[in-house]
Amino acid sequence: MATNRTCDGVLRRDFLRVGVLGSGLSLAGFLRLAEAGDVKALTMPGMGGKATNAIFINLGGGPSHIDTFDLKPEAPAEFRGEFKPIDTNVPGIRFSEHLPKLAQCADRFALLRGVSHSLAAHEFGTKYMNTGNRPIPSLEFPGYGAVVNKEMGGPKDLPPFVAIPNTPQVAGFLGVEYAPFSTTNTPTKGVPFNVRGITLGRGLTVADIEKRRRLLTDLDSTFRGFEKESDLVNGLDKFSQRAYDIISSPSSRKAFDISQESPSVVKLFNPSPFAQSCLLASRLVESGVRFVSVSNGGWDTHQDNFAKLKDKLLPDLDSALSGLFLSLEQKGILHKTVVFVTGEFGRTPKISGRGGRDHYPRAMFVLMAGGGIKGGQVIGASDAKAAGPASGDGITPDDVAASFYHALGINASKEFRTPTGRPVAIVRYGKVIDGLFA
Amino acid sequence: MKFRLAALFAMSMAMLLVAAALTQPLTAADSSAKTNSPGSPLVKIIRPASERFSTDAATEVPDFQRHVLPLMGRLGCNTRSCHGSFQGRGGFRLSLFGYDFKADHEALLAKDTGRVDLETPEISKILQKPTLGIPHKGGKRMEENSWAYRMFTRWIEHGAKSVTNNVRFARLDVSPSEIVFNGEGKTIPLKVVAHWADGTAEDVTCISRFRTNDESVAEISESGIVTSKGKGDTHIVAFYDNGVAVAQVLFPVSDKTGPKYPEVPTPTKIDTLVVAKLRKLGIVPSAISNDGEFLRRVSLDLTGTLPNPSEIEAFLADTSPSKRAAKINELLARPTYAAWWATKLCDITGDNPKQFAGNVLNEQLAAQWYSWIERRVRENMPYDKLVAGIVLATSKKPGQSYEDFIKEQSSYFRDDKPADYSARETMPHYWSRKMMQPEDRALAFSYAFLGVRLECAQCHKHPFDQWTQDDFKSFTAFFTPVRFGVSPTSREKNVALRKELGLDKLMGGMLQRELGKLAKEGKEVPWQEVFVNPGNRPAPAKKKQQAKQKDVVATVIHPKLLGGKEVNLAMVTDPRTPVMDWMRSKDNPYFAKAFVNRVWANDFGRGIVNPPDDMNQANPPGNAALLDYLAKGFIEHKFDMKWVHREIMLSDTYQRSWKTNDTNHLDEKNFSRAVLRRLPAEVLIDAAQAATATSKDLAGFSTTAGLAERAIGPKGGAALARRGPNGGDFASKVFGRSPRDTNCDCSSSNEPNLLQSIYLQNDQEMLASIDRPSGWLNERTGVTSKSKLADRKATGQSITSLNKRITELEAQAETYKKAGTEKEKSLKDTELQISARRDDLNKAQKRLDAMGPDQPVQPAFDPVTVIREAYLRTLSRRPTEAEATRAREYLDTAGDNAKGLRDLLWALLNTKEFVTNH
Repeated sequence: MATNRTCDGVLRRDFLRVGVLGSGLSLAGFLRLAEAGDVKALTMPGMGGKATNAIFINLGGGPSHIDTFDLKPEAPAEFRGEFKPIDTNVPGIRFSEHLPKLAQCADRFALLRGVSHSLAAHEFGTKYMNTGNRPIPSLEFPGYGAVVNKEMGGPKDLPPFVAIPNTPQVAGFLGVEYAPFSTTNTPTKGVPFNVRGITLGRGLTVADIEKRRRLLTDLDSTFRGFEKESDLVNGLDKFSQRAYDIISSPSSRKAFDISQESPSVVKLFNPSPFAQSCLLASRLVESGVRFVSVSNGGWDTHQDNFAKLKDKLLPDLDSALSGLFLSLEQKGILHKTVVFVTGEFGRTPKISGRGGRDHYPRAMFVLMAGGGIKGGQVIGASDAKAAGPASGDGITPDDVAASFYHALGINASKEFRTPTGRPVAIVRYGKVIDGLFA
Repeated sequence: MKFRLAALFAMSMAMLLVAAALTQPLTAADSSAKTNSPGSPLVKIIRPASERFSTDAATEVPDFQRHVLPLMGRLGCNTRSCHGSFQGRGGFRLSLFGYDFKADHEALLAKDTGRVDLETPEISKILQKPTLGIPHKGGKRMEENSWAYRMFTRWIEHGAKSVTNNVRFARLDVSPSEIVFNGEGKTIPLKVVAHWADGTAEDVTCISRFRTNDESVAEISESGIVTSKGKGDTHIVAFYDNGVAVAQVLFPVSDKTGPKYPEVPTPTKIDTLVVAKLRKLGIVPSAISNDGEFLRRVSLDLTGTLPNPSEIEAFLADTSPSKRAAKINELLARPTYAAWWATKLCDITGDNPKQFAGNVLNEQLAAQWYSWIERRVRENMPYDKLVAGIVLATSKKPGQSYEDFIKEQSSYFRDDKPADYSARETMPHYWSRKMMQPEDRALAFSYAFLGVRLECAQCHKHPFDQWTQDDFKSFTAFFTPVRFGVSPTSREKNVALRKELGLDKLMGGMLQRELGKLAKEGKEVPWQEVFVNPGNRPAPAKKKQQAKQKDVVATVIHPKLLGGKEVNLAMVTDPRTPVMDWMRSKDNPYFAKAFVNRVWANDFGRGIVNPPDDMNQANPPGNAALLDYLAKGFIEHKFDMKWVHREIMLSDTYQRSWKTNDTNHLDEKNFSRAVLRRLPAEVLIDAAQAATATSKDLAGFSTTAGLAERAIGPKGGAALARRGPNGGDFASKVFGRSPRDTNCDCSSSNEPNLLQSIYLQNDQEMLASIDRPSGWLNERTGVTSKSKLADRKATGQSITSLNKRITELEAQAETYKKAGTEKEKSLKDTELQISARRDDLNKAQKRLDAMGPDQPVQPAFDPVTVIREAYLRTLSRRPTEAEATRAREYLDTAGDNAKGLRDLLWALLNTKEFVTNH
């Protein structure tokens, strides 16, 4: 039996060899696609597609919109909060006073206001914002990084999808081969970054691993000559070689070594783990990593919203994001790197009795930049109290997702097959946001 | 099955080698007048519609169900990309793949749409659009003046009636049922006959849909002509109404077929059945594997564990001719056999600590689930009994009082000598998972115990099987009354007990945490329970759904077994009982097959039906006789799981080498050789641990004690719940351990990927396990003696400083004591500190004692022995001479023994031979 069926009668090939003498899509075929690396082997022609790389910033916990990018100075005191708006370098656009650096580079990114959904639990909101698909119990949707990994591949000697330090984006029904490479910790300013699986630990040198690699090559001979007959043997060889390339490559070590970054870039970032992670993200993308996600937490400000934002969260965000936009620009890669900044939801416009704000998916903000996205503009709006979209349903997470993929030249309506053969679109309902692209 | 197609025969005999019984060709008239099913009486077969409607003179009125909708299906109208889309196309929606006759008829006849014009049939859109008389986004689907056009026209002219005939569809036949090609580009037409319950039969070839299961072997045209494309075998599938029929296509790989086929011994029934098909295909099987390969394979497949070095040496030295059979029996008696198959059954049944609806002590629940199954596998309880213990479970035993239930349930959770959960007669946890809707339960149930995927039929007619949405709903009805929560009969006492424990004010997570805490302390707490709702009332629909369904006329759903009969639930107290009775009956088409097929998939890397959990009519077994034999034998042997293992593993088919010959090097589905498989995640993780463990630990690896820490052991499943930087056990994830959260055997993956290679080559966890102080490298080379000395020194220092600090604190306490009540709090704090320091001191002392003598003895290091043992530990064989020489050369030039052996171990763990079962 060679094929699996799909619900619409389209045949799906088994991943491994097909048929007694089948010649269908094999692991080897998959590897050829993966090895094609920079070639966008599977994307649709004629789609948006200026960006070749992506950075996703996940603000875990759900950042307040009304205290950051969607201030309502005219709203009653119990809504507008403590913070004052300040002018940005784009006339008419105003941010919170605690984001002065971002205010000075507001022309580099687009601000989406009135982004809206209805999932107020962390888990579900996070899944929605990290996949562009409202979660359903019967299917685990792949996160953005997994989809981009599958659709665009990665460089030869670097992992295609790196998560700093981890990410809620899973490979879902696409399967573990598209899963993120998680660094599991964050970099420290000026220090070469230790990365699980990549950094040579235990006193090993490249010469040592070359030596033992030669031993492996000599000893791993049982299935030699069997590659053509077994996709598994061929696949294990290819992945092993690629892993070795990554581990032994000076460029991968260099990519993770933020101590080698030029002073003009280093000074853009404060020493916080979040800002240093963004510095690493910028460096990894410059080195060719296809998709980098940075996760930053602490935004679940049920209590002491204003003190937490003012003292820690906003200064770090201000440094991390302004540093990210400006460093990408300085490196000359902002135009081909799409940046997507979001939390799982916004926060209640009305301040609670505990001086905090609670979960609020009806109105939130999203920042997007690079990859042909027109900076210095606000799209969408929330109502007078930032309590919901100013009109209609606002911008949906699905629309944001479709726009994000559009920037990378990925057709968001393309369908994947789940392992049980069910056809599922990359984004089921989204449309590219009008006016977002230059 | 026989087929007689003389017309065909005359036409294509020159090109074809038609298999089966074609010894007495009949006349053309005979062939069209007879069915191809043996034993059935002569039935007059109605000529195909394409002939009946071939001229304008045709007066027959076509039937909506039998002709009109199938033709629309054939033309592609109701596919997902066309009007079968849930959004419809151009405002016109048909049910996906048909079978909702009422809705489809309404859609076609909908007012003011002009789809069907009864007054002027020829301007009906369903005639004009597909002929492009008016623009049609779906393009041209038929010709004007064709038989199809005429058939639609006649239907409209006669009032475009809905289903007029209530006769049940009986079955679909396709002939020939087996085709053997002898060259590329050869063709043969198929004939499809539909049989109805009243005995009528019609040639429906022209209104059937077709599909090939492998277009690299054979293609099928829309009109049912099969064309050979390449060597191999596959099936052609025909669809009509809810019938599915298949024809097998064989295109021999070599000329070694029939009489030219070499002598191949077939000592077992399995071998006979497998070789029978190989003979048709001209595939010669591989030789029998050598003893080392056999031992490794059988140990991995039965026990999820590599054989250890001494076991390998003993097996190789054993000269008994029956040593393989003896080894199989020996392995079946090991605790690792029960552990590995319990792990697999936990995968299938969905034992996941994150999935429990009650959310109290989830890891314990998951471990209880495992232990319950493990015990039954160990005791070799018949599989049907094991399953019945899950299927028919309720938390409160029949007749048990609420008090006794609470008492019993609590006894399993207390920290202090918990009662043995595995001794419980039934295991209700399966029903206490978060999937509360009956639909979810039906899907999980049919997946786990029947190997049938019903997902498609939840929303539309299953495209590849007989299942309609009504079938799905009827099956779901069995699970509607099964609930998890507080049963009506327990409610009052549950509330009272909560109050008594002071928990009545708590909700949600707070309550669950508190319940868990009390239960661990040994208190009796009010548990939720799995129960069958008395009265079998359907589950209350959510308010929203009710509102939506307000205008819909309620239809009564009768519980119906899959492909079986309707059941009157008024007569049973537990609706699951008739389902279980049906499953264990000897005629059940799924239950036994699902299990033997999964065992086969475990042993060969693919099922006889593959994917193993996708038994449907359009996905026939590659070797039906083989699957039938095993399923029948399983039932006859009273569902004895060990019988299945023995039967398979004693066959030559199982014991064949992975080494190929010219005829079978591309065969991965007819079991002519062993196909390389990557080790399952749990097995690989355990194998890496074992290969690097001390000799003593390795020896205990397959014992019950050794299993405690293993991935296939009782705590293995708990990893699924652990929150870590990567959401749990990193290696399990990277290597594709089943997260047990979806209804698919594919949830566990043994595909290779980049992260796995990085992990094996350079992950700290992997390198640390080679280097660990309690590991084999250290045992052989004393590599950690230096760090041990440093550790000894540091521990000594901390003992000194702890003693000093305790003296200081005791002096402080004395002064507080003298100060009296004023310093009472400070005194208490200080006493607490003293007690904490004493604990630390005790621990440090114990650690120091455990370190042994001051000067570790450098172990003897004989390179020949060490190299051989490294090979036995990893690749389960001795090194070849060339390998031993290369390894020796490496050790000799490495500088020091530890460095050399570390690299040798690393290299062996990174070979393809280590990570595969071959």
